[in-house]
Amino acid sequence: MTSDHSTAPTRSQETTLQGDLYTPASSVLELRHVSCAYVAGRPAVQEISFAAREGEILCLLGPSGCGKTTILRAVAGFEPVCSGQIFLSGQLVSSPDVMTPTENRRVGMVFQEYALFPHLRVQDNIAFGLRHLARSERSARVQEMLRLTGLEGFERRYPHELSGGQQQRVALARALVQNPVVLLLDEPFSNLDPDMTGRMRQELHDLLRRTKTTTVLVTHDHDEAFAMADRIAVLNQGRLEQFDTPEMMYHMPATPFVADFVGQADFIPGTVFQGMVHTELGEFSNTIECEDDTAVVVMIRPDDIHLVPTKGATSRVLSRQFRGSENLYTVSLPSGQIVHSSQGSTSVYQAGTAVELRVLATHTVLFRREESTGLASQPVRPIAREH
Amino acid sequence: MSCVCSVPTLRRTILSVLLLLFTAGLVAGIFVPSAQAADKLTIYSGRSERLIKPVLDAFTANTGIQIELLSSGTTELVNRLKTEGDRTPADLLITNDAGSLELARAAGLLHPLNMREIDRAIPAQFRAPDNAWVGLSGRFWIVVYNRMMVQPDQVKSLLDLADPKWKDKIAIPNSGSEYLQAGVSVIRATYGDEKTRQFLQGLKTNADSQVYQKSSQIVDAVAKGQVALGIVNHYYVYRHLAAQPEAPIAVLMPDQQEGGMGAIMNVAGVGIVKSTKHLDSAKLLVEFLVAQAGQKLFADLDKEYPLHPDVKTDPALVERKSFHAALVPLAKLAELREPTIALIEEVGLR
Amino acid sequence: MSTIRQQLASPLQLLVLASAGIILLPLGYVTAQALSADPVVWSRLWATRIPELLFNTVSLAASVAVVTLVLGVSTAWLVTRVDFPGRRLWEGALVLPLAMPTYVLAYVYSYLLGFGGPVEHLWQLVAGPQARIFSPHSYGGATLVMALDTFPFVYLLSRSALLSMNVSFEEVARASGVSRLSTLWRVTLPLMRPSIAAGVALVILYVVSDFGAVSLLRYQTLTYAVFQQMTGRSDNTAASILSLLLVGLALIFLITERWFRQRSRFYQTTGRYRAPQRHRYGWFGALAVTGYLGLIVGAAFALPASLLIQWSLSPEAQATLDSRFFGFVWNSGILAASAATGGVLIGLPLAYLASRRPTMLNLSCLQAAYAGYVLPGPVAALAVLVLFSKLAPVFYGSVLILIVAYVIHFLPAGLQSLEPALQHMSPNLEEVARTLGLGIRDTWRRVTLPLVRNGFVVAWVLMFLQTMKELPATLLLRPVGFDTLAIRVWMEASEEYYQLAAPSALLIVLMSLPALALLVSKDWRAA
Repeated sequence: MTSDHSTAPTRSQETTLQGDLYTPASSVLELRHVSCAYVAGRPAVQEISFAAREGEILCLLGPSGCGKTTILRAVAGFEPVCSGQIFLSGQLVSSPDVMTPTENRRVGMVFQEYALFPHLRVQDNIAFGLRHLARSERSARVQEMLRLTGLEGFERRYPHELSGGQQQRVALARALVQNPVVLLLDEPFSNLDPDMTGRMRQELHDLLRRTKTTTVLVTHDHDEAFAMADRIAVLNQGRLEQFDTPEMMYHMPATPFVADFVGQADFIPGTVFQGMVHTELGEFSNTIECEDDTAVVVMIRPDDIHLVPTKGATSRVLSRQFRGSENLYTVSLPSGQIVHSSQGSTSVYQAGTAVELRVLATHTVLFRREESTGLASQPVRPIAREH
Repeated sequence: MSCVCSVPTLRRTILSVLLLLFTAGLVAGIFVPSAQAADKLTIYSGRSERLIKPVLDAFTANTGIQIELLSSGTTELVNRLKTEGDRTPADLLITNDAGSLELARAAGLLHPLNMREIDRAIPAQFRAPDNAWVGLSGRFWIVVYNRMMVQPDQVKSLLDLADPKWKDKIAIPNSGSEYLQAGVSVIRATYGDEKTRQFLQGLKTNADSQVYQKSSQIVDAVAKGQVALGIVNHYYVYRHLAAQPEAPIAVLMPDQQEGGMGAIMNVAGVGIVKSTKHLDSAKLLVEFLVAQAGQKLFADLDKEYPLHPDVKTDPALVERKSFHAALVPLAKLAELREPTIALIEEVGLR
Repeated sequence: MSTIRQQLASPLQLLVLASAGIILLPLGYVTAQALSADPVVWSRLWATRIPELLFNTVSLAASVAVVTLVLGVSTAWLVTRVDFPGRRLWEGALVLPLAMPTYVLAYVYSYLLGFGGPVEHLWQLVAGPQARIFSPHSYGGATLVMALDTFPFVYLLSRSALLSMNVSFEEVARASGVSRLSTLWRVTLPLMRPSIAAGVALVILYVVSDFGAVSLLRYQTLTYAVFQQMTGRSDNTAASILSLLLVGLALIFLITERWFRQRSRFYQTTGRYRAPQRHRYGWFGALAVTGYLGLIVGAAFALPASLLIQWSLSPEAQATLDSRFFGFVWNSGILAASAATGGVLIGLPLAYLASRRPTMLNLSCLQAAYAGYVLPGPVAALAVLVLFSKLAPVFYGSVLILIVAYVIHFLPAGLQSLEPALQHMSPNLEEVARTLGLGIRDTWRRVTLPLVRNGFVVAWVLMFLQTMKELPATLLLRPVGFDTLAIRVWMEASEEYYQLAAPSALLIVLMSLPALALLVSKDWRAA
């Protein structure tokens, strides 16, 4: 277990973090250099390595087509791996030579569309995999799950008689009643009304914590990932970009892609000169220790830019977007560079207002320029199947 | 294949193969034609079921031998016998056309018979030389006319029917009909191909869409006055008259003029299928059919001319001695058939 | 490399390949026979029969298409967009003609419109004793019978198009100040176009492959000619050639139908379903609508059915109701049940593999199974006959080859309900069962089969029904002692013994009704 698990581009502070994030000894699920391909020679995911600890909620985050669902299906045993290994509870379940059938893996799965058996009542759906138990124990387990998921009174309904949220809970109950080694959730909230999603997220989070279920959740929504996950794996075009806690992900993105994907970010070009990075917005410290004259970009989040209306200032407010708790401003710098700034909802400036920009330099992240080329229009090749 | 799963997969494959074999065996057991019971005869019959079944029922009543009947087109049945070969369930073939029987004999499908009963009952010209088939009743290809629409002296010969004056006034059987094929064969043998072609062309134009699958429909059409004339076997007319005596139809025996071709005759007949396993029962049936009682039954039921010289013709029919028949031997109908069909198709009869 | 899907496939794969082979081989044999025929035969047929047959077939198909288009669309529009008393009753009644086999309708009409028949008598009261009406044994007669029998195809498809159509389109049109009639013309009908076209293509396919009606009405089409060639000639070369032409013709219409069905998916609109608003007519309008629908249903079903009942009650008909008659019923039932079971057993693996493992091979196998669509009865019979007499003559003259012909011929009908049943079932359902600890076989037993059961039952019923009505293949392939009800109807009717044919015909219609109800209720739910 001493193999190199570095995945993202190496950065000085990340190597130190990785030590305590990574404790393979207690991992319930572990992937080592896993690659999958639907078409030979065109891998949908490549060289994926990560591990989940007991009781941890892990999130696979990425745009559609990045291969996150493929990983989930490989863990469940629906897709073969063409290289690498997958371990469940320390046992090898998938490798190019080994393919433990799904039914012997003890994984629970909740599909995007829930996949409730339309011909069975709620209670029979939940009890579906409990055939081996005595009738009394079966019904006791079902009752317990109904209680845990708040579905009491619905046990005799058919799936089509339930709301979306209720259906999701049945699907969860059906998976959890098996005491799975790991629970796999594929975009669990994508079929719910937006106003419902927030509540369900909270409920699900509580339930998983209470049952101490190790969970892998797939989503394309970073808000969802932040709300649910202990750790997040960001995927792009079949590769793992970063595997980290939500906070690190937001504040210390490993790549420009991650930076952009997990929240609004502006990238300001600059040049290194005498140990400092010089940009239109001022100077920043050279955290990646580049040589002089290296072209770099500085990532700045809107909440790190403060606007001060100043007569004669050279930057102009272009537009304002009211977002309830805040106002998001689009500001044009003298060079034409566009940056965003979020201000309190009470500070209202008209378009055209001349503003001075103050930057909280602590939260900025520096990338070499070539890393970020083409960032604005990151092409997403549809190499992975989503569902 | 993964090592984990290959063993159960293999077992499953073997299992399904076994299951498949078992099912195939079962299916074969049920569906392959099985050997018939000893006292049961299977007959392929090209005659309309209602024209033959009463006679066969009489045979069953006499002998207790059950009969299974498959009624279909004569040519189709001969084709079927050819394809089935030795496996055929059929014991006898009954057709409405001597040519078809002769073709079946030539193809080696029929069993030659050496039976004194046949030699005594049926004149030699109405059966195969080796008695592989035996004629049972005679029929003539005649013109049926509507008495309200046509005077009997307006038509002397079948060939007159090609005259444009009968445009849209005549009904004919379709080109697949064995009577038509036999009739045209006789005309070809008598008058040659060119004259026959002209006749057929005229007939085709005159009949236009009045081409029928069944002769009974032609008679019906004439009786209703839908057309004035039709070409059919004589007994269809008499059967119609027996059911509806007041129908304004009559039989016109064609080609009786001095030196004329004579009426075109054909026979319905029977042959025993070579591969039969019930030769004795089959012979019993043939014997029954050629004997006086059987001949009487067969001829009267269908209003045909019995071939047994001692059996009297139904008095309703035109006296047999009052007209003469065409001279083409029945067995010759077989060899004439193919070129006749070619000619019919060339003209484009339906 | 192995996947779950491959493990699951291997035994099934063999079965599927074998099925596709059994279906395609006969067609291949006929094609080979036709193509290897002496050119003289081809040129003779070209010179004598083919132009007439092609013209007759295509013109009949065209005229029936036009009539069914008018009947089908107008009736569908009336029952979905107009409110009048008894609307729901008519909505169901318009499907009834599907229970009437074409040969039954044909024989009823050859009596009704026949020379000296009741309609002519009525007409002569009006127009004088010498007046004649058009003969049913003609182009017009064949068109009338086929159109009355097949317009429900167009009606059903148009009706569900009208019901599932997003009403907003029509409302937008009306809001833009377009009149109701103009809306119908400019919005509703264009939106329905793919459904209508699919319905009409289905009708044409049906007409092209019909044998029963054209044989009784003596209207020469390719299908009829194939039958005549097979029964009247000692070799099958000419029949093969005509079959090949017929298959080509049917293929054109099949591809057209497929193409339009594909397009109709694009036209389907998402969004919440809202029932269309029906406008209410005054008593005069309602009377006119009722009269129009009554005329159609009366001509296509009520009148023929009542004649069948009347004939069945006649003493002549009663006399035929002996043990032999029940033998025919039994034969019909056992043959249809065997064919339906065989069809489902063969169809299920085909449809399953094509939907769960859509490789080129599996999809081609499924497409091969649709070959039956372009194999009209006589051609299917010819194909099976030729194949078996060459490869497995042991089975010639047995029930087996008849059943094989049925399965080949009617498998498409079964697949059409098996395929969507499997496609509608998300593979996730099977996968989730695996995560719950079920093996492949248990998953099949507890998830797949229960969920496709409805499609399964519908497919079975459909094939049962079609087989029971089937005529030409039965005529050509039935073994000794296997006359069916359909055969009896045809034999008696072709000699115009109307009364004697009636009990068998009536029984076929009666047996078709529950099956029809089942199918329609499925369509009702879907709409």
